[in-house]
Amino acid sequence: MTRNAEAVLIAAVATLASIGVAMVQFAGGTWLDADVALTFIAFAFTFGLIHLAFRAWAPNANPLILPIAGFLAAVGFIEVFRIDPSLAALQRWWLAIAGISAALVVWLLRDSGVAVLRRYRYLFLAAAIGLLLLPLLPESWPIHGAVVNGSRLWVRVTVPFTDIDLSFQPGEVAKVLLTIFLASYLADRSEAMATVSRSIGPIRLPEPRHLGPVLVAAGAAFLVLMYQRDLGASLLLFALFIGMLYAATGRGVYVVSGLVAVVVAGVVAYQQFAHVRVRISAWLDPFADFTGAGYQTAQGLFAMGSGSLTGSGLGLGRPDLIPEATTDFVFAAVGEELGLAGSIAVITAYALFVTVGIGIALRCRDRFRKYLAGGLTILVGIQAFLIIAGVVRVLPITGLTTPLMSYGGSSLLASALILALLGRASHEERV
Amino acid sequence: MNDPLRRTAWTILAGFLVLAVATTWIQAVAGPDYRDDPRNPRLVASRVGRERGAIVSSDAVVAARSDPSPDTSQTFVRSYPGGADYAHTVGFVSVLFGARGLERERAGDLVSNRDSTISGVLNALMGGDPRPRGLRLTIDDDLQKVALMALGDNRGAVFAVDPSTGAVLVAASTPGFDPNTLIGPDAHLAGQLLDDDPDQPLLDRSIATTYPPGSTFKVITTAAALDAGIAGPSTEYPDPGALVLPGSTATISNYDGKVCVDGTTVTLEEAFVRSCNTVFARLGMEVGAEQLVATAEAFGFNSVIPYDLEILASAIPEARSFADDPPAIAQNAIGQRDVRATPVQMALVAAAVANGGEIMIPYVVSDVFLSDGLIESSTTPIVWRRATSPASAAVLSDMMERVVVSGSGRNAAVPGVRIAGKTGTAEVTGQPPHAWFIGFGPVDAGPGEPQIALAVVIESGGSAGETATGGSVAAPIAQKIFAEFFE
Repeated sequence: MTRNAEAVLIAAVATLASIGVAMVQFAGGTWLDADVALTFIAFAFTFGLIHLAFRAWAPNANPLILPIAGFLAAVGFIEVFRIDPSLAALQRWWLAIAGISAALVVWLLRDSGVAVLRRYRYLFLAAAIGLLLLPLLPESWPIHGAVVNGSRLWVRVTVPFTDIDLSFQPGEVAKVLLTIFLASYLADRSEAMATVSRSIGPIRLPEPRHLGPVLVAAGAAFLVLMYQRDLGASLLLFALFIGMLYAATGRGVYVVSGLVAVVVAGVVAYQQFAHVRVRISAWLDPFADFTGAGYQTAQGLFAMGSGSLTGSGLGLGRPDLIPEATTDFVFAAVGEELGLAGSIAVITAYALFVTVGIGIALRCRDRFRKYLAGGLTILVGIQAFLIIAGVVRVLPITGLTTPLMSYGGSSLLASALILALLGRASHEERV
Repeated sequence: MNDPLRRTAWTILAGFLVLAVATTWIQAVAGPDYRDDPRNPRLVASRVGRERGAIVSSDAVVAARSDPSPDTSQTFVRSYPGGADYAHTVGFVSVLFGARGLERERAGDLVSNRDSTISGVLNALMGGDPRPRGLRLTIDDDLQKVALMALGDNRGAVFAVDPSTGAVLVAASTPGFDPNTLIGPDAHLAGQLLDDDPDQPLLDRSIATTYPPGSTFKVITTAAALDAGIAGPSTEYPDPGALVLPGSTATISNYDGKVCVDGTTVTLEEAFVRSCNTVFARLGMEVGAEQLVATAEAFGFNSVIPYDLEILASAIPEARSFADDPPAIAQNAIGQRDVRATPVQMALVAAAVANGGEIMIPYVVSDVFLSDGLIESSTTPIVWRRATSPASAAVLSDMMERVVVSGSGRNAAVPGVRIAGKTGTAEVTGQPPHAWFIGFGPVDAGPGEPQIALAVVIESGGSAGETATGGSVAAPIAQKIFAEFFE
């Protein structure tokens, strides 16, 4: 029964995406063309495929997580289409690939369940670190790193015997693998880690050996990311570690020491890296260096301010004037064309996603599944929070993709993996 | 063991609540401020791709046009075929630098009304013509080109009007710029170069810069004396080479420190023709601050001149601030010290004399026309104010004619045409003087006979430097414009 409701909601999501595309085309003065139908097909195929995979191999999966993700993907897609239809055409392929990948993961776990992942945690850790190191490969290799916007986050693969370059951001998938590792590690150790072994004054500390591997993993990830100048991903991973450690152990000392570490790291970064100082000053007063560092933030504010309560209407604003409006700043583009109504809808959808995801985790009796579902949800929630906070000036801009909404295959693929794992984890609790 | 997880979830949800509050603040509370911020490129961007009406000179030379974009349907590309010729008056519409000139001030006419706003829909329902309107300027393309050519590489300006209507014939400011570069692919770089240029090419010196008017201000001092009945053209004054100002050790001397005629006495007219500072300093003190300021204000000082574009007000201090300070009155009376005037203001001073003492409101747009060429509306000449009495204007006209016939303005003479004028060499401490010429022709134009009044200024003497005078630098430029006009 719930699967049928999910199917209806997915049909609604596909309709929403195609109507959005139609409105953009109408506003642009061109008559509707194949884009409307192709968009419907892409969304129906992607989310329909995951839905069918759930039906076949995870029939008791939570029915809400897919439609909420679909809604966010649809709103993001409409803005990507509005800003650059050729990007949107590619995005449809990324959606399809993400859908196939998610279905594949559900199929692979059909008999073993997510528990199988627990056994291979060091493999995932190695894979994650390997992925994070990939962008450092020299330019002359067939698989090599590439610098985009000052950060070395991309990997380019030159397909042999052709001129075609494929690019992807391995960090996106690495985040999911690291979450799996962490969930697995904490499932084995969380009780020991929660046990107080010694006290220094009021501060009570667990055994150092329980913390060692986690700190090593975190440290390795950070070093790589700092070297690649990806502050957003560093902060995201750090928050994920802290969040998962706290959720698993209930020990406030992790949170406190985490916050202290963030402040110390922040001060050091501020003093050591010019690009960090620039970002901080652009955050405090984006209009001081309006044409330089503050330009993106200011353009985002102009866009959202122009959108006001109800927005300019789809296709009637100028979100194309915002730098990175298809990825980091897609939230500002939504705010401009759909107004405060649209922005609040997006924030609410993320809040719903977190609520549903944490709900899945709360119902899990198995420790690993609980931490996996919780960790993946925290990952999406914190990433959405950090990037939107950058757009609306609650925090400095960190440079992250907007989960599910941004243009980009790597980001969508990571989101699809999360959907598959959340669906499978929720199914296993209800069997 | 679920409580920590729950608390983590609440923390994230609280974070989203903060985001919702911040978003509401940006969009609902601060929204209008961001929307209307002049740096918000949306206002301009909304106009950039749309069809805009053409702007043409009075002799139908195209200054701005819109053509369908070769790349995308539904959008138009603006171009300025006149390049720098009309840059300051016509302006431009650039996403990066905003809109200026008529492109900004007359956007309501130039931009198509065909849009989906409520007013656009209402306009269409009421049978309004949604097509953009074009503008016909009063500027004469040949005259404008001659003025720009004559200004050359100097920093300076020419402003010329038809004294009987106020129609602007020349509005030239140098150095200029090519507005096409500000809407082209390298607009960012071009704009930075213009911004960094110490000569300020974007500045319209004809209406947005004031200079001390120097001796051209003697027209106003004389008008004040004539209107007050204190002096006439034949009133005699002492003729010293230098005048010690009362209550001080400061002196005012003539241009080269010499006597004006023979050191005995000189008539007001002779002093005007030879531009004797000592006589006008004395005359100014006789007239007094109150009358001097009242006359200057009657000519338009301390007022914003109504115009299609924003004009910087010319300035003279309040009378009571220097009524008891004879040296200040003397120096202001010869257009130095605290008096500042735009070229357009001084052109209107000349126009007032030519037009029997009345100043017409200057205008640069003569017609608004529909895309099929039909004229929708035309500008009607309107009297702005009376600057001086007809009798005083007639006396001034005679005196100014003698300046060009036999005085400091001989370089502006055109054979066969009765030209009147006044030169000015405005001293500025620390830099070469500004060279001025104001004038008009023909004197006593019959009804319907074309007439022109103008002001020329060359900043800091131009290429002549310290040796520059109004007669040697500015008058020849006026001569070229007169010659072209009366050809």
